[in-house]
Amino acid sequence: MTRGAVLLGGLGVALAVLCLVAASVGQVNVPPDQVIGSILHRVGLDVGPRPTALRGDDALWVVRFPRVALAVVTGAALGCSGTVMQGVFGNPLAEPAVIGVSWGAAVGAATVIVFGLTVLGDWTIVAAAFGCGLGTTLLVYTVSRFAGRTEVVTLLLTGIAVNAVASALLGLLMFAAGNDALRAITAWNLGSLAGANWGAVATVTPLAAAGCAVAFGCARRLDLLSLGERTARHLGVDVERLRFTAIVVIALLTSSAVAFAGVIAFVGLVVPHLIRMVVGPGHRTLIPASALGGAVVLVAADLVARTAIAYQELPLGVLTALIGGPFFFWLLRRARSGSGGWA
Amino acid sequence: MIRPARAAALALAGALLLGGCAAGTAGRPPGGTDTAARCGAGTVAAPRGDPEPVASPETPRLPVTVRSADGRDVTVRDARRVLAVNLYGSLAEIVHGLGLGDRLVGRDVSTTFPAARHLPLVTGQGHDLSAEGVLKLNPSVVIADRSIGPPEALEQLRRSGVPVVLVDDRQTLDAIGPHIGAVAEALGVPGAGRALADRVRDRIGAAAKSAPRDRPTVAFLYVRGTVGVYLIGGDGAGSDAMIEAVGATDAGTAIGLSGFRPITSEGLINAAPDVLLVMTAGLKSVGGVSGLIKLPGIAQTPAGRNRRIIDVDDGTLLSFGPRTGETISALAAAVYRTCG
Repeated sequence: MTRGAVLLGGLGVALAVLCLVAASVGQVNVPPDQVIGSILHRVGLDVGPRPTALRGDDALWVVRFPRVALAVVTGAALGCSGTVMQGVFGNPLAEPAVIGVSWGAAVGAATVIVFGLTVLGDWTIVAAAFGCGLGTTLLVYTVSRFAGRTEVVTLLLTGIAVNAVASALLGLLMFAAGNDALRAITAWNLGSLAGANWGAVATVTPLAAAGCAVAFGCARRLDLLSLGERTARHLGVDVERLRFTAIVVIALLTSSAVAFAGVIAFVGLVVPHLIRMVVGPGHRTLIPASALGGAVVLVAADLVARTAIAYQELPLGVLTALIGGPFFFWLLRRARSGSGGWA
Repeated sequence: MIRPARAAALALAGALLLGGCAAGTAGRPPGGTDTAARCGAGTVAAPRGDPEPVASPETPRLPVTVRSADGRDVTVRDARRVLAVNLYGSLAEIVHGLGLGDRLVGRDVSTTFPAARHLPLVTGQGHDLSAEGVLKLNPSVVIADRSIGPPEALEQLRRSGVPVVLVDDRQTLDAIGPHIGAVAEALGVPGAGRALADRVRDRIGAAAKSAPRDRPTVAFLYVRGTVGVYLIGGDGAGSDAMIEAVGATDAGTAIGLSGFRPITSEGLINAAPDVLLVMTAGLKSVGGVSGLIKLPGIAQTPAGRNRRIIDVDDGTLLSFGPRTGETISALAAAVYRTCG
């Protein structure tokens, strides 16, 4: 068995175990065996114990399961979009929140919240996040590229500018917002899965799945692209088309993550790097492993966020940033010494 | 009308309570209005004790179907385990006032009357409910309003089969009666609801009547920290109704603002309030009365010059519940207090 297959298998098992643990921890006491029992009963198999706690079944099916499911989908989307972004930018520091794509998508969604738009029903917020996310990705990409390369400094500075504009727009929207909208936007800035429900899961799952599938389909060509644009072209890669596909995929994945969970930073940065350390830079393993790894990280982080303090929620985005921020520093230093100064 | 002897007694009690009120009255302008020249800082304390239950409690007659404020028809079949929560704590007070206080199974952070203080808290961060925390208490009915959320948590409760009755959340004196009526109806005790609403209306009427009505301008300021940003309460903020109930003019409404709006130092000077009303915790966060007066714009108002700062217990002023009558009396006493 290859190293990649072992890693994928290991991550898959870890995710399954973690989901079971996450579903069994909370204020209503439902141990893991009762969680499994409840699922089996729901699919028609009469085996295993049912939850004994009062309202245990409701706590599982109405509150916890959708939340764990949304954490899986969001984490996978973030991990995958980070990988694709780093591949297509040819730059290890690219990450949806760092370079402003998440914030761009957040502006779109906040606009929908403040003005109470419901043109497309449940999908309105996702569509707006996608539109703004796509625009921001295109903008960052065109602005930060120079002579076929994306320099680290240019990319980060572009990110700063994009973040500044996006947070100004968010501030403006918050100024205009009523009480309820204000609460929603604030929760969003910090990132949280507290609002998870089956509707949200059903809305983002197909998008995230499609994005991950297309990303996986591009894996070979992304490998070739990492040899350099010219080489890739000589090897038969339609570089322009690959780039455009990748940007749409990034916007799709980022906006489906942002639409209901808000801005959760650094998952898309940390996860692909950790995976690369284990299995190397080949995208055919990297992409699915990053998706699984992102899901593992987010389910674990959300578990901490909602159980660390009884009855209270730690903001999830704050938690991931606290852990991811120092990692980013370390990466920044390494990127600097690797390219012999600020390239 | 307050008789002179009684007013003097009140003032004396206040003076003793606050350890004298001579501080900061030196800069009093010669042309100050009568109210502006009254005695300095004061406090409106939260009502003490439990909300008084109605004289003749009813046994709930269920099931009932009521129209919730969000437009849904909600059927309540069981009122043995009641969770009544909102930002102000007024819904739990209403349930207690209806004589059903022993059925409450949890409380919000603003519900602090002695009979409810031992109940488990379901709001961690101010006004955010935790759906699981609520489910754990297994309530048979949840009564809330739009001041508490998030809407997703309420939706999760509905999907779990818990009837959720929303009461409308208008912050006016006239809305208290309908709020009480809505809660009473949802719990199957309409008679107790009418009795409680009548009592509350009478107390508010009596309290409002006893205020002198020489129309000083009062501004409700929300201050937090020392960064010089204030929110002022305007038309419909809730504070306007309380200020007008004691026969004063609401400064925010007078300059054409509605809801809570940020106001600049200059805007505050132009509004020229005779009295500033602030939250107790907010006043503490800026370093008390002397800290507040140091903030830009405050000292240039008649209220700042005369140190006419009244702090009111957080949540008491805007609760619009069964004890609002008592709050109005206390507010009137603080606004019209003289140094004797």
